[in-house]
Amino acid sequence: MKKETKISVVLPIKSGKSPFFDDYFNKAITSVKNQGEYVDELIIVHTDETFLVNHLSSYDFEKLNVVLEPWTEDPSFANQVNRGVDLSKSEWVSLLEFDDEYSNIWFKNVTNYIDIYQDTDVFLPVVVDVDDKGVFVGFTNEATFAANFSQEMGVLTNETLLSYQNFQISGMVFKKEVFNKYGAIKASVKLTFGYELLLRLTYNSVDFMTIPKIGYKHTNLREGSIFWNYKNGSDRLSEDEVRFWIDTAKKEYFFTQDRNIKYEPQEV
Amino acid sequence: MNTEHLEKIERSIQNMKEKKSRIYFFAQDTKGNAKASVRLIYQMAYSLKTKGYNSIILHEKPDYFGVSSWLDEKFMNDLEHMAVEGTNLEVAPEDFIVIPEIYGFLMDQITKLPCGKVVLCQAYDHIFETLQPGETWPSLGFFKCITTSEKQKDYIESVMRNVSIDVINPVISEVFVKNEFPPKTIISVHSREQRDTVNLIKTFYTKFPQYRWITFRDMRGLTEEEFANGMKDSFLSVWIDDRSGFGTFPLESMKMNIPVIGLAPNLVPEWMTEDNGIWINNVNTIVDVVADFVQNWLEDNVNSELYTEIQKTAEKYSDYEKFENDVTNLFDKFINTRLESFEEQLNKFQTTE
Repeated sequence: MKKETKISVVLPIKSGKSPFFDDYFNKAITSVKNQGEYVDELIIVHTDETFLVNHLSSYDFEKLNVVLEPWTEDPSFANQVNRGVDLSKSEWVSLLEFDDEYSNIWFKNVTNYIDIYQDTDVFLPVVVDVDDKGVFVGFTNEATFAANFSQEMGVLTNETLLSYQNFQISGMVFKKEVFNKYGAIKASVKLTFGYELLLRLTYNSVDFMTIPKIGYKHTNLREGSIFWNYKNGSDRLSEDEVRFWIDTAKKEYFFTQDRNIKYEPQEV
Repeated sequence: MNTEHLEKIERSIQNMKEKKSRIYFFAQDTKGNAKASVRLIYQMAYSLKTKGYNSIILHEKPDYFGVSSWLDEKFMNDLEHMAVEGTNLEVAPEDFIVIPEIYGFLMDQITKLPCGKVVLCQAYDHIFETLQPGETWPSLGFFKCITTSEKQKDYIESVMRNVSIDVINPVISEVFVKNEFPPKTIISVHSREQRDTVNLIKTFYTKFPQYRWITFRDMRGLTEEEFANGMKDSFLSVWIDDRSGFGTFPLESMKMNIPVIGLAPNLVPEWMTEDNGIWINNVNTIVDVVADFVQNWLEDNVNSELYTEIQKTAEKYSDYEKFENDVTNLFDKFINTRLESFEEQLNKFQTTE
């Protein structure tokens, strides 16, 4: 008999003051609602920004089982996600960003694959990347299907990741157990925290598979987003620092614990 | 008519009654490559063999490669094989020879043989390839034809007069089964000309670079098992063969629950409906239709009715027992007609005596 799988969704939010926040947020929540019976709970780990707190407390989530979890320390995508995963009650968890959307078919496909591929721990969607105007930019996570890329079509391995970095963790559905066992997301790692997590999990023999279905729409470099800030904003990274974080990811994945890595600018 | 002749007729009658008359099927040497038309020949010969008939595979040269590398070994092991070259081929009046339509020169060589002669026409566009201008099957002593679809029968009737034509629908091999796992991002392609496959792939990747991670598989030159294994992970099949006489590849795909985008052949087969595939007329639009399908498949937007229809269509061509009965009944008819004619001759002779 088919097992009934339910998925917890973790949504970290730093600020509600970003341009078009309402619009993005509405679409993200609607996309969770559209997953229907497959959603167990939506855990929103939010900062104590007044605007955001008011927005969330007055928002009509309809029948969704929503947990609002305040985050009172310094805003941190990694720490907020880790907190949300800790709180989740389901065996399977997924990450959502407020400016992104699940496709209507995603959780249905994931539960089907969970049933068929019982040894797999993480399922990645094919992600459609769009710019902040909604225009198609490209796909992400699709490379596992490219010819001569993976040893087994659709399967992501550590070896593959070391030669190609363009994979992302938002939208993925993973076993809470393996996420916590191998150290969750490292808050000290900038820019490549997702890549480092993927390297670390695959290094520890966590089985990854991309489902060949469009499961997630990701807004690329939205003004105010974490990666936009790395590129253009207050957290702007130099070329040297970008290289540093890529190298760091490739070294740190051997360690389960966050070793509080810091970037030291090279002296000229 | 002398006694010796009388005895020959009696022996022929006896052989036919006891299913001892030989039914030769001439098969092309594909040198180890899978070929649907050769598979059908083996399936027909094997069906007759299992029903007790004396069917034999004829091949041109003694160094025949055989079909074990791509078909079930039973076909090589259980069926008797004989080479035309270097063998004293025994052909008696009660025997039959079944020759594929492409071998006009062979028909010419055996015109004078006293046996029953049948053309097996699977590809209508090969009919005149090796016939001399003005030459016809009846002029070479072939008055019977077996073909694979009603549409081909209509066409053959229009170009080849005075030939009685019977239809045997091919059966799709049992190696083609629905995959229990979800498909991968693979498109299987089968085209008559290899350049059509290459052209499709290059055009697709150039026009739709965002789909460069979609894999195309050229399904030519594979063993039956490789073919089935290679195809089972596909989510789509593309079929480009406007001169096809039947369309085995799309039916094999359908049996594996894989939708087909195909160029509608000049002779539209009767199994083809507007609901059981995406059939187009302009080869240049195939890449656009494929890209549309890819997008819809990635979004789970392919109409579920399509999957219902392809299963229904495939089912019609999956009944091996029916195929065996159809083949046996047809050869029974051939043999009985010949038997009646021999008995008539014998009666005439005995009456005269």
